[in-house]
Amino acid sequence: MKEMLPLTEAFFYILIALYVEPAHGYGIMQDTEKLSKGRVKIGAGTLYTALNTLLNKGLIDHHPVPEGADTRRKMYAITPNGKAVVAAEIERLEELLQAGRNALITGKE
Amino acid sequence: MGERLEKKFRLTMSWDYEKEEQWLNEMSSQGLHFKKAGFFNSSFVRDKSVRYTYGLDHQSGLTKKDGKLAEYIALYQDAGWEYVTSFGALWHYFRREWQPGEQPKLYTDVESLTTIYKNIQRVMGLMLLVNAVILIANMSNLLSHFKNALWAIMIPVSVIYFLIFALLGYGYVKMGSKIKKLNN
Repeated sequence: MKEMLPLTEAFFYILIALYVEPAHGYGIMQDTEKLSKGRVKIGAGTLYTALNTLLNKGLIDHHPVPEGADTRRKMYAITPNGKAVVAAEIERLEELLQAGRNALITGKE
Repeated sequence: MGERLEKKFRLTMSWDYEKEEQWLNEMSSQGLHFKKAGFFNSSFVRDKSVRYTYGLDHQSGLTKKDGKLAEYIALYQDAGWEYVTSFGALWHYFRREWQPGEQPKLYTDVESLTTIYKNIQRVMGLMLLVNAVILIANMSNLLSHFKNALWAIMIPVSVIYFLIFALLGYGYVKMGSKIKKLNN
């Protein structure tokens, strides 16, 4: 699982969007834009390719489509493995932030 | 339907697909909108009132039967891309209405574009292998049947195969250098 780290921004946002709740592709795109305050926009090809990679690695899974909804619009949910990768990535990012902030403080003195 | 299709000749090599995208965009700016792909010819519909930005994608293993193609098209549609057509079950054409100052892309990061380039390269490698197997099978077949017509049959067949190998081999190497350039 460690070989997935560091996650690309697209992978990270897809995983945390699905951490909140299962969603379909377009929902993930909208969530990503919202969560990143408009900075990260995932293109359709990038999303489709990323979803296939995450499915193959077992970090996400298909989620049943609610009744009456368009069945072509597949839903995705995060798996326990996916959650573990997100946790490991956040830990890695925290270490980077801490080291960076410490350096800034030390440099000022 | 009733719309008239105009044909334009263009032979695009897989490793140059971004150039085909640019070409389709230029054609669209002149009022000719891509509709159907062919091996040598592309068909266009004339309409001066619209202009599109085209996106060309490479995905293998999408079939109508298991619903994968419909699922794929639905995702792109949700993202604002209209499905136009597919070619050879590998290349899929999308478009959206052109907006000034906007350059919509299907791939928004280096990692996913690298994945697609690698897929294109893999398909070329596979075709190369399949062709090698067919060549060996054909050659042993032809040799036993046309022992006396060696020059008339064997040489043309060999030349054709050599060209196919050269083209696929060149494409494979070309994709490799594109991947390298992208990740530098």
